[in-house]
Amino acid sequence: MNRLLHKTLKTYSIFALFVLAASVPAYYFLTDHIWLRELDEHNEIIAQRTEKELNKLQLSELQLSQSLALWNSLKPGTYLKPLTVIKERPDSFYTVLRPNPYSEKPSIDRFRGLSKIIHINGKPFELFAETNVEETEETVAAIAVLTFLFFLILVAGLLFLTRRLSAQLWKPFRNTLAKLKNFRLNSATPLVFEQSDTAEFEELNNALRKLIAQNISAYKAQKEFTENASHELQTPLAIIKNKLDLLLQKESLTERQYQLIEEINKSLTRITGINRNLLLLAKIENHQFDDMSDVNVSTIVEQCSELSGDFFEQKNLHLQTTVETNVIISSNATLVEILVNNLLMNAYRHTVHNGHISIQLNKAKLSVYNSGKQALDSRIIFERFSKKTGEHTGTGLGLAIIKEICVRHKWDINYQFKNEQHCFSVIF
Amino acid sequence: MKVLIIEDEPELAQSIAEYLSEESYRCEFASSFTDALEKISIYEYDCILLDIMLPDGNGLTILEELARQRKQEGVIILSAKGSIDDKIRGLQIGADDYLTKPFHLAELAARIYSIIRRKQFGNVNIVEQNELQINLPAKTVTVNGTSLTLTKKEFDLLLYFLSNKNRVISKSTLAEYLSGDYADMLDNHDFIYAHIKNLKKKLTQAGCDHYLKTIYGTGYKWEV
Repeated sequence: MNRLLHKTLKTYSIFALFVLAASVPAYYFLTDHIWLRELDEHNEIIAQRTEKELNKLQLSELQLSQSLALWNSLKPGTYLKPLTVIKERPDSFYTVLRPNPYSEKPSIDRFRGLSKIIHINGKPFELFAETNVEETEETVAAIAVLTFLFFLILVAGLLFLTRRLSAQLWKPFRNTLAKLKNFRLNSATPLVFEQSDTAEFEELNNALRKLIAQNISAYKAQKEFTENASHELQTPLAIIKNKLDLLLQKESLTERQYQLIEEINKSLTRITGINRNLLLLAKIENHQFDDMSDVNVSTIVEQCSELSGDFFEQKNLHLQTTVETNVIISSNATLVEILVNNLLMNAYRHTVHNGHISIQLNKAKLSVYNSGKQALDSRIIFERFSKKTGEHTGTGLGLAIIKEICVRHKWDINYQFKNEQHCFSVIF
Repeated sequence: MKVLIIEDEPELAQSIAEYLSEESYRCEFASSFTDALEKISIYEYDCILLDIMLPDGNGLTILEELARQRKQEGVIILSAKGSIDDKIRGLQIGADDYLTKPFHLAELAARIYSIIRRKQFGNVNIVEQNELQINLPAKTVTVNGTSLTLTKKEFDLLLYFLSNKNRVISKSTLAEYLSGDYADMLDNHDFIYAHIKNLKKKLTQAGCDHYLKTIYGTGYKWEV
């Protein structure tokens, strides 16, 4: 993932590259133009001076032709050519490339020239004044190198500034993000964002505040609903149960009718269980089990395994306990007992006849192993009502309660399947 | 024996009364807090069933009132809340037992039975039925004078049957009684068979009559 500022930096750099690249020909044309104009002026001055000074000398025909011969053989930047026919024409400017005969390396120089008709001693001459001018490619290369240098300075500067700005500008954003990451809907503490002087971040914080407030209130309403609904259900459930008890006492009851009542009773037990467990979950979530004390987990594990022994015997399950004595952990005693019982009952329910269950407890963790054939989907087993289809007993809440108790105590719960054994571990 | 049912839900109160009336209990009703306060200050009861969530007051206040008046009635709290705090507070103020709704009437009858017996007989709390003698505080059973070794579950079952004489008790009711809150987690209730079978065998071997009958295949009845 790219950082946001790096993305803008990339775009800016590409843009700067285009602009600076486009500036190279622009600079070239500008400097070349200025240069040529200055040279034209320079050549004009030379031409005027040549004309004036030669006329001032008042040379004779012979002297003039001798001087011109010498002049033209030296060609010190100007060249005079006598004209036979008098023709008036405007001055003409030109650029010409000539090889440099004096250079050791073969090189071609560029010249800017002026061709002008001048009059010496009343006779017309064509004067050529030429001045060396920087070659195109040399100018372009120099500008390009300089531009590229500036481009590098620009990118380096942007990179540096981006780093600095990223740390400063995004600080409120990072604060908000860190708070959001740590936010838990079920922890009753509302989120407080730091005030930011950046309009966008303040807007973001406001939107988040509103969203979180709505979430908290929806979550609270849902929790209250669960608790209230569960409470309200207890009385009608009690009435049904008691009426069935009375119905069972009727003399005229047939065996079929008795069986029907038993079937209703079984379902009723299940509803009651679901209801009780939902209520328990709601209560844990509503912080009704928050009082902590030093709990002797070893004793609880031993008591629970003793109580479940009866059920285990019925299925001929082999129970093995490796419990370190006096494992004292600061926790809620009621919840620990529910946790251990749920782990044991879960193991009991999902172990086939003649299987084995083992419980291990030490200061670091509590593990319950039971024999099994197939690994469970560890992603969903702790979800409410996530039990496999085809199961007709249980409330589908046992593991959800285990998970919730672990969350409450900030313990880790994990599930593994190894050597044909399911293993649930609570890491204290 | 007189039982006061303090319960605002009439259907529930009537069911309880109907079940208990066959066991020679006389039931009276109080459907509100004020009604209940009035009744307890005028009459004497053997047992009071107290719903702590009443429309016009908290049942725990009635408990406090009973303690203030130094009444000796046995009190069983009936609560839809099932919160541990309530339970602990109720038992601290002076309730003898606590039952969470929904409950089986047989369970309630068993609790009333043991509370009334405890209140009436104290340490000489011995139930006698022909050749059968049960010492409740000592948890011992004798048949024709010879003592019987029962497991805790077998003893509990025996007492449960004795407090629900001549009533049909279904297997699921017994399963709930023996497994408590974990009844809903059990795939089947077959473990009941083993306990009943053992109990029957021990009683018969000691020369006890066949009081425990199997009804409709999976139900049980203690017939006297």
